[in-house]
Amino acid sequence: MRLTGIRRFHFARDAEEALSLLAAYDGGAALLAGGVDLLRSPRGDIEGVIDITRIGLSYVRESRGGLAIGATTTLTEILASAAAPAYAGGLLASALSQVAAPPLRNMATLGGALVSAHPWADIPTVLVALGAEVRWQGEKVGKAPVEELYGTAFRGLFRRAVALEVVLPPWEGAFAHEKISRTRYDIALLNACCGLGLDGEEIRWARVAVGARPNRGERLPWAEEALIGRKPGGELWNEVQRLVESRVEVGDDRRAGAAWRRRTAGVLVRRALARAAQRGET
Amino acid sequence: MKLSFELNGIEHYLDVEPGEPLLSLLRRLGMKSVKEGCGTGDCGACTVLLDGRAVRSCLMVAPQVQGKRVMTLDGLGTVNDPHPLQEAFLECGAVQCGFCTPGMILVAYELLTRTSDPTPDDVRNAIAGNLCRCTGYVKIVDAVLRAAEWKREGRWR
Repeated sequence: MRLTGIRRFHFARDAEEALSLLAAYDGGAALLAGGVDLLRSPRGDIEGVIDITRIGLSYVRESRGGLAIGATTTLTEILASAAAPAYAGGLLASALSQVAAPPLRNMATLGGALVSAHPWADIPTVLVALGAEVRWQGEKVGKAPVEELYGTAFRGLFRRAVALEVVLPPWEGAFAHEKISRTRYDIALLNACCGLGLDGEEIRWARVAVGARPNRGERLPWAEEALIGRKPGGELWNEVQRLVESRVEVGDDRRAGAAWRRRTAGVLVRRALARAAQRGET
Repeated sequence: MKLSFELNGIEHYLDVEPGEPLLSLLRRLGMKSVKEGCGTGDCGACTVLLDGRAVRSCLMVAPQVQGKRVMTLDGLGTVNDPHPLQEAFLECGAVQCGFCTPGMILVAYELLTRTSDPTPDDVRNAIAGNLCRCTGYVKIVDAVLRAAEWKREGRWR
């Protein structure tokens, strides 16, 4: 544990109390959900920790054909829920079961992953691909697509607001997630999440997102456009692979080089499209 | 601050510092099976069960266990009365230096409370976040499968 300056610990009774405590510390406090990121953080300015795990934000509910997941729901709770396994062709079951080792999944929460939004993380890529929305309570209750939020200075927002819920919309079709990491549960060197909806022999809608480029997951709208109205199959997947290799924005970091990422992004998108199409057929 | 929680079946009421790592508290209470390895949640040496789920005690502060049940390896079995899972580790030669063993046994225990018939892959996935620098993992996987077999035979208490 690296967060060593904690002087006071509070169990918030509700989001309002968490917010008034945050305000009272004037930047010197942080919200605690799973704690995996917070307690590993070397921040020296945190005196107060406000636990929000007991304010009723741990749930997975079916909502208008999609899912509503409370911000403090752990990844294990999502995987064990009745509603999540069938959603989006089993995307959550396959993607979340590859995020970190089981004891960390017992701790890490969906809201924490959304707010921490590490560029190498799988969950932001999945949320962006799915068109997820987040609901929060700050001075007012707010709601925004995760994709839009990630384009803003969202970290500042969540220093003054409590993430309440992630809403995953209904999709008639299936998604698949692909990840390459050094070991199964290591952080991704690259990840991709793709979804397809079929209308007979044609692709009606498509979602393609690639993350850990090394930047955070983003959709590739030009790849989606290349898929819509086309006949699904190996030929098309290969064409989109080449397109992704030619246009995806990637970079170097200490874990992987840009050239490798460029080539691999195409491969991961091809694999994810093929699996999504296969899941959509069953 | 005041803290009350159940540790290995015994209720504890005590004063803790709000920022005291759970790992330190448990060792202060004599639970020396809980080891500090990396201190950042990566190695699994500090694993304990919280309400039956394996967690990293190095990434928790003591107040987080208020009103909850914590189990360490000390609560599973003793030298004179080891749990079958501990016996399986000994029988299969899955213990060498012993530093990772408490964490390994506790993640295996969590797995075996959910299933009595795990595949070798299930076991590998369960222990994937726990590092062993001595034995390699083959004997540890063997030990968990052996313990599962004993569980199916009704030899667990």
